[in-house]
Amino acid sequence: MKDLVRQKLSIHVEIMDLLNKQIEKEAHSSSAYLAMASWCDHNALANSADFFYEQAAEEREHMMKIFRYINDNGGTAYSPEVSNVNHDFKSLEEIFETALDQEISITKSIHNLVGKCRKVNDFTTEYFLQWFIAEQMEEEQTMRRALELFDLMGTEGLGLKLLDERIPNIRNKSQK
Amino acid sequence: MKVLHQSQFFISYQCDKQRCFFIEFPHKRIKLSFCQLLAFRQQVKEIDLNAHFNGQNPHGLEMLMLCNRQHFFVFSTLECIDLKEFITGSFAMLELNSLLTTPF
Repeated sequence: MKDLVRQKLSIHVEIMDLLNKQIEKEAHSSSAYLAMASWCDHNALANSADFFYEQAAEEREHMMKIFRYINDNGGTAYSPEVSNVNHDFKSLEEIFETALDQEISITKSIHNLVGKCRKVNDFTTEYFLQWFIAEQMEEEQTMRRALELFDLMGTEGLGLKLLDERIPNIRNKSQK
Repeated sequence: MKVLHQSQFFISYQCDKQRCFFIEFPHKRIKLSFCQLLAFRQQVKEIDLNAHFNGQNPHGLEMLMLCNRQHFFVFSTLECIDLKEFITGSFAMLELNSLLTTPF
């Protein structure tokens, strides 16, 4: 019997399912960053708002990268539904802490995916995901750097204002 | 045409010549491309069997449209349970075939 599945699909079916789950996570992450941007905008933290608008666009780009990869390789990508986006935050510090947790969770999910790829010998997807591994490392570094600023400059008054001014330069130079 | 998997109500076949799949339902047989088979699998995966037993789906019916809305099916709870097993079994057989045909 011919291997029709392999003729039509370059990636493993289970990996396709996990990639679709990853699409959902990236979409949720993008929406979460939008909510954070909105909070910053309402609290006169313009630079932080711009930073999170940019983050939201980046997460959507990640989602689209996976989306196209699935379809380009003969699979079916599903447009994700996004729900349970939190809009309530106590402070900018809490926002950056939530952002770091979110990035860590995405990193873990990518690592699990790579682990599964190795299990089922899907080397094509493993190679594709290498870019995401490097990207996640940079994202985590950025968020960690922001939290370090809070230790340095405080979380209220002028310190917070000065911190907001430093946010545009927070990304690693190699990322720019 | 070769049988891939058979469950209580359904049978799946692979046709090498036409490079497609067939599924035999109790009252008709339909032809599916691989893409359509994937879409069918997704629809079956999304069936929430718990809803059939906790009162959310009191009629116990699921309606699925297949192959770009060419076919319309209504399945009972019993058929849905069988359908889930059937899809898992069919894809397991496809994977097994893939392993057997891969040259080492």
